[in-house]
Amino acid sequence: MQIRITKPGVLSTIQDMGRMQYLSQAVPVSGAMDTLSARIANIAVGNAHDDAVIEFTYAAAEFVAESDILIAYAGDGAVLKSGDNIIPTERPVFIPQGSAVRLVNNPAGSRTYLAIACGWDILQILGSRSTYTTAGIGGHKGRALQAGDVLTSSQKCSGATNNLLLKLQGQVINYPKWNITRQALLPVDKKTIRVVPAHEFTWFDGCSIYDFLSSPYKLSMQSNRMGYHLDGVPIQRLVQNELLSTAVTPGTIQVTGSGTPVLLMADCQTTGGYPRIAQVAAVDLPLCGQLKPGDIIFFKETSRHDAEMLYIEREEHLYKLALAVQSQF
Amino acid sequence: MLTQSPIDNQGFSIYYLSEQAVTIEFGHEISESLLHRISNYNNLLHQHPFPGLQTTVPAYSTLSIFYDPLQVIQATELRGRDGFEKVQNYLLDLTEQNIDQTKSSAPPITIPVCYGELYGPDIEEVADVNSLSIQDVISLHTQAVYTVYMIGFVPGFAYMGGMNEQLATPRKATPRQTIPAGSVGIAGKQTGIYPLETPGGWQIIGRTPLKLFDATHAQPALLKAGDKVIFKSIPLQEFDQYGA
Repeated sequence: MQIRITKPGVLSTIQDMGRMQYLSQAVPVSGAMDTLSARIANIAVGNAHDDAVIEFTYAAAEFVAESDILIAYAGDGAVLKSGDNIIPTERPVFIPQGSAVRLVNNPAGSRTYLAIACGWDILQILGSRSTYTTAGIGGHKGRALQAGDVLTSSQKCSGATNNLLLKLQGQVINYPKWNITRQALLPVDKKTIRVVPAHEFTWFDGCSIYDFLSSPYKLSMQSNRMGYHLDGVPIQRLVQNELLSTAVTPGTIQVTGSGTPVLLMADCQTTGGYPRIAQVAAVDLPLCGQLKPGDIIFFKETSRHDAEMLYIEREEHLYKLALAVQSQF
Repeated sequence: MLTQSPIDNQGFSIYYLSEQAVTIEFGHEISESLLHRISNYNNLLHQHPFPGLQTTVPAYSTLSIFYDPLQVIQATELRGRDGFEKVQNYLLDLTEQNIDQTKSSAPPITIPVCYGELYGPDIEEVADVNSLSIQDVISLHTQAVYTVYMIGFVPGFAYMGGMNEQLATPRKATPRQTIPAGSVGIAGKQTGIYPLETPGGWQIIGRTPLKLFDATHAQPALLKAGDKVIFKSIPLQEFDQYGA
């Protein structure tokens, strides 16, 4: 299966679940900003959950199916359309050769993930297919996708994928009635992000901690795959100790010298020297991956134990979903 | 309100970083003895990994340990109510074994540098700030043996200690938009090498033809925490011959 990118959009990159093995050499994790959507797109076509996907930022991208293709997409950055037909999300969709597909703006979020049956055929670099553009590594030629780029699917197809294709293939766009409901895995309130107090939590002034856990924070224009600078009530420090640079990770919220919280995301540095006020619960990090400049969020405290239990529950849920698709088809 | 209460044992404490990582804090200073303790513990952990261990990140005074929480929670041989406790208990028990305190005696890594001229546009500024000649700057920079404390900032960037303080120079008032890969710079009391072309505010005194980071290598970063480094001055012609 093969597609050709005809319009690349704002930022479209190949991502997977990230690059864990080279953190000690300061190679960032990278990977999908909204890992939940990326995994659901993969699961819906019978792929391994961590296969490579295309991460589209906002809309305006377009591609052409250069062969018959079986795809699935998930995320809130765009709705896929072919002609006047809206392609539904979170399920396998057969698209015949020659169809042009475009991404139409969805104000609900910022990123959309496109999986292809059997996964995109991308070479692993340092153990991952994720693109890290700063160092020009991974993904498609180490860079964002451009018009004219051709992407193909791998040959490693699951039985479920082959069966889905047999069921759905034909002359027209075709898809089943079922879908994997991502919303069922997400909290109703998508703008309240649960956080666990971080190691330097007590370095901050009590009133500032109260502000942090109750006031709105707005994503500034300085927000990208590395992290989000948050505008809101500045956070004052009580303890003026100097922090020696130490490991940080996506979801870490650092506070800069001017009191601005910075939420680190997928392409963040592996170490940082700003004190950390909180760590976003892993289950809520995909929500953060859908945010865009101007969005307003709130933080709510949870315990590290509860955050871990939510994580385990989420993983079990995804495992069962994948198993259901694999055994059904 | 929940506050972090790090468990203190064996002279270190462990705190929560995320659902998939904890950090061991060994102290609060930059020192060679801490560096050795951290690298010894890191080696020990890799020799005796727990189920689900993914990777570790050494820093100045900490070692962070990343793991797969699902594998940890399923590991019945680990004690604890949740993943964090299981990893914490494992790490605390690990110290009870004998940690080898012997220092590594690997020879220093020599980094050839073409100082000044084309590749070191700020060498005069460094000389002027410190009332030195350009030749003094080169001599002082090549005489010292540097210690790599950690890798951070961008892939392959080494935080090194050991620079002669006579070379200390403030960062540039306005950072450059692009600094070429291989540039050797000074910022305050630190010296370092830019592995990738990035923006930056360091005073650039030279450039090495070596690749500090090469994603095609199994070990992509040339340097790692604990390495000793010396700089060697090379003329322009020799620089140009590298990779030719």
